[in-house]
Amino acid sequence: MNLIFRFVRRELRSTEARILVLALALAVASVGAVAMFADRVKGAFVNQANVLLGADVMISGDRPLPENFTAQAVSLGLKVTQSTRFGSMVSAPSKDTPLGKDSALTDVKAVNAPYPLRGSIEVRNAAGDRVPFKADVKPGEVFVDERLASRLNVKVGDTIELGKNTPRISLVFAEEPEVAGNFLSASPKVLMANADVASSELLGPGSRATYRLQVAGNKSQEFAELVKAKLGPGQRMETVRELRPEVRSTLEKSEQFLGLAASFAVFLAVVAIVLALRRYLKRELDTATLFRTLGAGQRQTLMHFVGQFFVLAIIACLLGVVLAYAAQAALAWLVRGLFASDLPPAGWIPLVKAFATGLVLLLGFAIPPLVALSATPPVRALRRDMPSVGSGGVFASILGAVAVLAVVMMQSQDISTGAIFVGGLVALVAAATIVAMVLLWLIRTLVRSGKLSRVGGRQSWVYGLANLDRRRLSTALQIACLGLGVMTLITVGFVRTDLFAAWQKSVPADAPNRFLINVQQEQVAVLQPLLPKSSDGKAAEFFPMVRGRLIAVNDKPVTAKDYPDERAKRLVDREFNLSATAKMPPANKVVAGDYFDDKARDVMSLEDGIAKTLGLNLGDTVTFDVAGDKITVRITSLRKVDWDSFRVNFFALVPEATLAPLPKSYITAFHLPKRDNKTLASVVNVAPNVLAIDVSEIMERVRSIVDQVARALEFVFAFTLVAGLLTLYTAVIATQDERRYDTALIRTLGGTKSQIRAALIAEFSALGGAAGLLGVAGSMLLTWVLATRLLKIDFVASPAVWLIGFFAATACTLLAGWMGTRSVLTTPPIQVLREG
Amino acid sequence: MTTNASAAIQADNLSRVVPLGERQLTILDDVSVTVTEGETLAIIGASGSGKTTLLGLLAGLDRPNSGSVSWHGDVVSTLSEDALAKRRQGAVGFVFQSFQLLPALTALENVMLPLELAGARDAQSRAADWLKRVGLGDRMDHLPKQLSGGEQQRVAIARAFVASPKIVFADEPTGNLDTDTGAEIVELMFTLNREQGTTLVLVTHDPELAARCGHVVRLARGKVVQ
Repeated sequence: MNLIFRFVRRELRSTEARILVLALALAVASVGAVAMFADRVKGAFVNQANVLLGADVMISGDRPLPENFTAQAVSLGLKVTQSTRFGSMVSAPSKDTPLGKDSALTDVKAVNAPYPLRGSIEVRNAAGDRVPFKADVKPGEVFVDERLASRLNVKVGDTIELGKNTPRISLVFAEEPEVAGNFLSASPKVLMANADVASSELLGPGSRATYRLQVAGNKSQEFAELVKAKLGPGQRMETVRELRPEVRSTLEKSEQFLGLAASFAVFLAVVAIVLALRRYLKRELDTATLFRTLGAGQRQTLMHFVGQFFVLAIIACLLGVVLAYAAQAALAWLVRGLFASDLPPAGWIPLVKAFATGLVLLLGFAIPPLVALSATPPVRALRRDMPSVGSGGVFASILGAVAVLAVVMMQSQDISTGAIFVGGLVALVAAATIVAMVLLWLIRTLVRSGKLSRVGGRQSWVYGLANLDRRRLSTALQIACLGLGVMTLITVGFVRTDLFAAWQKSVPADAPNRFLINVQQEQVAVLQPLLPKSSDGKAAEFFPMVRGRLIAVNDKPVTAKDYPDERAKRLVDREFNLSATAKMPPANKVVAGDYFDDKARDVMSLEDGIAKTLGLNLGDTVTFDVAGDKITVRITSLRKVDWDSFRVNFFALVPEATLAPLPKSYITAFHLPKRDNKTLASVVNVAPNVLAIDVSEIMERVRSIVDQVARALEFVFAFTLVAGLLTLYTAVIATQDERRYDTALIRTLGGTKSQIRAALIAEFSALGGAAGLLGVAGSMLLTWVLATRLLKIDFVASPAVWLIGFFAATACTLLAGWMGTRSVLTTPPIQVLREG
Repeated sequence: MTTNASAAIQADNLSRVVPLGERQLTILDDVSVTVTEGETLAIIGASGSGKTTLLGLLAGLDRPNSGSVSWHGDVVSTLSEDALAKRRQGAVGFVFQSFQLLPALTALENVMLPLELAGARDAQSRAADWLKRVGLGDRMDHLPKQLSGGEQQRVAIARAFVASPKIVFADEPTGNLDTDTGAEIVELMFTLNREQGTTLVLVTHDPELAARCGHVVRLARGKVVQ
C-alpha cells in the first residue's frame, strides 16, 4: 500500500500523469458544475411553477387532514396554511329576476391567513392592468373574483348570501395564484375565512369538499418525501405537474434540456479520459516491464497499478469537485438577477455524482488495459521492439460502454437519454474505425502509386500523410475521439440554438389564452363574429362538448373503488369531457389504431396517457352516462396530445354523429391581447351564461420559465463549449510525443523547418478533416434523434451550422496540433531524441 | 536432465523458435552453457546471432521451446511466469543497454525499486549507500533526464546490485555510451562483481570487454561456435 502512495507521489512529477489528472479533474468539474447548476436552475423554475399551486407542496384529502402532517411541516420550519375547497351557490339581490335575487355556482375556498404562500392575489388597477395585492380575508368578509362580480352585478361593500351567512365583499380580485386545476370545471371564485365555515353551515356530513394543507419553504421537498409514505386513502399529494399538463410538459422539457447539457459534459469527459489515459498507459508499459523483470508477479503488478490508478483518480476527482463547486458558483453569479427569486442553494448530490462519474469512467476505461499491462512479458525489457500489449480488446470496449451508460444514466436519470447516448457512442466508434480505415487506405494507395509526390512535387506533406498510416491504430482512435468531441460541440450548438428555438416556437406568442365554455348551440353563430381571428385568418373554432361519467368498461360496471391508482380513481369519480371533431385536431398524433372517419359511429379516440392510467386498450368498449342517457363506444385509436400547444385538447373524441342526440354545449379558444377588456364584455353581453376562462397567467408562467431556462442554458452551453475546446486541445496534445520524436529525427536527418511544417499541416488537416466529417455526420444523426425521439420537436437544421462545424473542426485540430508540436521546431533535436 | 549443483547457471540444449508469418524462425538451436559461481561470461556474436535471446533465456525472462535452464541446481525454465518472477526477486540483477530507468523517479527511487518490490524496510538507506558506491552520492535526487548517459548507467548498475543478487545479467551495458564512459562503466561493473562475488553474464559487441571475461560463448546463426 505504501509503495502505491509513494509511486503516486513520484508519478505526479511526470507530464503524462499530470495531464491525466488534469483531464479527469476537468471532466469531473464540467460534469459537476453543469449538473449542479442545472439542479439549481431547475429548483428555481419549479418554484416559479409552484406559484400556480399557491404553495410548494399541497396535500389534499376528502376528509380533514390529520394534525401530524401540519406538525411535521412546522417542525421542518415550513410556512403552512390550511384551506377547504367546495362548490356552493352564492346569491345577491337582483331587480331583474322574479325571485329578486340572482345566483351562481361558485368555487369557494375557505382559507387561513396567510394565503397564498406563493405568488399573490392580483387586482386590476385604474389602467386595467393586473397588479399584486396583499390582503388576508377576515371573518365576516369575502373576496370575489371579477367573473362573479360581473355575473351577480356586485361590488366592494355589497353583501352576498353564502350559506347561512351574509358576508360583505371586501375585495374584487382579478386572479389568485392558485390557477392550477381543471379549468373546464372552474366556476367563479370566492375566498372566505376558514373561521366562517361552521357558522355558514355549508359543510355538513357527506358534503363534497376538499381539505388541503399547503406548505412552502426550503425543505418542502423533504416534507413531500416524508408525507408521501404516510398518505392514507382519499389523501393525495398535488403537484403542479399533475394538475396542469402543459406545465408538466414545459418542466419536463426544461429538465431534459438541462439533462442534455450534463450528458454532453460526460461525453467530453469520455474523450478527455480515453486520450489522456492512452498516453499515460503507454508510459506505464515500461514501468510494468521493469516491475516484472525485477521479480513482481502478475498479481502484484496488477494490484499495484489498479491501486495507483485508484489513488490518482481520487485525487483528480477531489480536485474536480472543488473546481465544479467554484465553476457553478461562478455560473450562478453570472445569471444573478435573471430569476425572480435567488437560485436555491446547491445540493451536494451532483458533486457526489460527478465524483462517481470520474471514478467510474477512469476505472471503466483503465482496468482492461491494466490487466493487459500487468501481463507484459518481462523479456520486453530486452526487446523494446516487441509488440506492445493489447488494450483489453472486446472486454475493454464493453466495460467502457457500460461505464458510459452508467454515468449518462446517473446524470440524466432517464433510460432513453442513456440509450441514445450510448448507442450514439457505439455507432460513432464503429463509424470512426471505418472512416479511419478508408482514409488510410486512400493515403496508402496514393502514396504507393507515387501520384501524390507529383502533385506540386512536395514530398514532405506526403510524408505527413504517410505518418497517419504508420500509426494506424492511434490514428483511428484520434479520429474517433476528436470526432466525438466535434459531434458533441456541434450538437451542443444545435440544441442551444435551433432545437431550443423550435421549442420556444411551440408556444407561439398568439397561442390561445382565453377559453369560452358553456356556449349553447344557437350562440355559436352569434359569438363567432365577436371573437378575434387566429393568426392564419380563421374564425374561432367551436367544439361540441358533453360531460359524461364513465360507468362501464366492456359492459362491466366500474366505480372508483375498482382502481388502485389515485389518478384513475379521480378520473372515474369525475365527469369526462367528450368532444367530437370530423378531423383529428392538430397537435394530436395517433399512436395506435386509426382515427375514425366521417361515417364511423359509436367509436372513440382516447388520449394515450389516460388510457394507460385506466388500463384501457384498443378494442375495449366503454360506457358513459350523459345526463341519464347512456352511450357505449369502442376505442379505435389512441392519441398522443401535445399539451404545449395550448389549443383546446380533449382526452376523449367521438364522431359528431355520436354526440348529435345528446345535450351539449360548445367550447372555443382564442388569443386576446392582455389589455383587451372589450371583447369579453361584448361576449358576456350577448351570452351571459357563457363562462370565460383566462389561461394567460399560466401561459405567461410557462413562457417565462422557457425564457429563463433559455438564458440559463446559454451559460451552461457556453461553459460546456469552453470545457469542450479545452478537452479537445488536451486530446490533440496528448498524442504529440510520437510526432515530436519523429520530427526531431527528420530534422536530424536534414529536414528543413518548412518541410516539417508542411508534413505537420498535412497530417493535422487530414486528421481534423476526418474528425470534422465524422463529427458532422454524428451530430446530424444525434440531433435528429434528440429532436424526434426525446424532445419531440419539429426541427429542420440549417446546413450552415454543419458547414461551419466541419471547417471549424479542421481548423481547430490544425491549430491545436500546430501549437502542441511547434516547440519541436525550436528545440534542439538532440534534446527531444534524448528524452525519447 | 543433468544439473550441476556447483554451477550458478546451467543451460542444456536450449532452442528458441518464433513464428515468422507462416514460417518458423529458429533463433537458438541446441545451445548448452554452464557458468560456475563467481565466474564472468561474455556472449558475443554478430547482430541477429541470438545473443540477447540467449541472455533472456538464461535470465528467466523468456522460456525456451526445448531444453532447460537451472540456477544453482534448481530448474527454473519449467516454472510458471509468476513463480519465475518470485525467483528473480533479489536473486538476479539486470543492466540494460537503454538503462531502463523510470523517468518520473529520482536516481535514489530508481535504485530503491527492487528493494521496495521485495518489501525491504531499509530500502532508502541501502539504495543511498549503493549510489555513493557508484559515485553518485550527490546526484540522488536528480531525475534520469537530468543525468548523462554514463550516470544513468551507473544508477542502473546500483539498481542491479542493490538487492545483493547472486547473478547479474547485462545486455550490451556499454552499447549506448562513448568509449571512455563505456570503459568506466565496465571497470565499475567488474569491480562490484568481484567485491560482491556475483556471477556476471553479459552480452557485448565489444571484443575488449569480452576479453576481460573469464569465459566467452560465441554465437553464429543461433549455434555456439566457440
